[in-house]
Amino acid sequence: DALLGCHRSYRSRPTHGIGKFKYLLPNEAPKKRKEKVQMKEISAGTEYQYGDVNIQMTSYDLCLVEHFAQYVHRLCNRLSIRVNESYAMPTKTNEVLFLEERGSKMQLDAVLTTHQRVVQVRGLSSTFAPILLEIIQSNQPEGVHLLVKQHTEDDFKSRLKSRPELEELLAQMS
Amino acid sequence: PCRAQPKKKKKVDVKKEQAQKERMKKRLKKLEKAAPELIPIEDFITPLKYSESNRVRSLPALSPEESERRVLLLKKWCLFKQKQDEAEKKAIKAVVESQQEALKELHLESEELYEAAIRRDEGLFPFERDGPTHTPPLPGYDPPEGKCIDITKVYTQ
Repeated sequence: DALLGCHRSYRSRPTHGIGKFKYLLPNEAPKKRKEKVQMKEISAGTEYQYGDVNIQMTSYDLCLVEHFAQYVHRLCNRLSIRVNESYAMPTKTNEVLFLEERGSKMQLDAVLTTHQRVVQVRGLSSTFAPILLEIIQSNQPEGVHLLVKQHTEDDFKSRLKSRPELEELLAQMS
Repeated sequence: PCRAQPKKKKKVDVKKEQAQKERMKKRLKKLEKAAPELIPIEDFITPLKYSESNRVRSLPALSPEESERRVLLLKKWCLFKQKQDEAEKKAIKAVVESQQEALKELHLESEELYEAAIRRDEGLFPFERDGPTHTPPLPGYDPPEGKCIDITKVYTQ
């Protein structure tokens, strides 16, 4: 044990640094404390392929929307379509008030939450896109609203928090 | 109007304005350094009331016949779903194959039409479709008057 624990470096000998192995391992990037939320490049796509396409599913029912998003994601995996991201948009809450039959007071009916899930897909070929759309349509559950559109910078910015101070300062400067 | 002694305010004003501008620029730089944050999604945060309670559900004991019936039912359902899934995959393959065959024939017929068919359709996106409803819409339905208020929490950085 004492023989193995010895760390004397014989710098004059040719066997100096014989036990080193860390230089053979691949370089690990230093851990970043904060991963900055940066927008990934939006590909425009060639003439025969669509670029980044967003498949957005909206509904009042959370479980349905999540399960449908999972189904679409797995379908894309099975059909070897590259999925960039699969994220959730912030939930919107709506208070529904209706006018009572007798009287002018607004009666609270319900509080509805609207959930939205997005599956971002890249490299859809122009021949396969209508087939994929048909498959998704035929499996659409009830009450789930489907929207398929191209990805834009505005879509990404709608996920970020608003910064009123920055906007105020920019307005003042210009 | 000319004055005997010129106003001293001008230089001081200019300096003050410059100092103000520099302060604003510094503030801008600080704000711009901070990376933009994503809005936290309320779906993924379980409210505290579901994690604090100590209620435990006690299910009744199942008889062996009941549990066997359930297991057999589960197996039948699995088989049914598997057949359904395989039928779907077969249908997808058939559609893709027929499309490829049609494109080949078109290619043999005329080059121009083939090229035009291969190109991407700009009118395809954006595509919107509402999900199927449980019941068709009632013909003479008069909905009560009311309004919707958006009460989503606005997050600012």
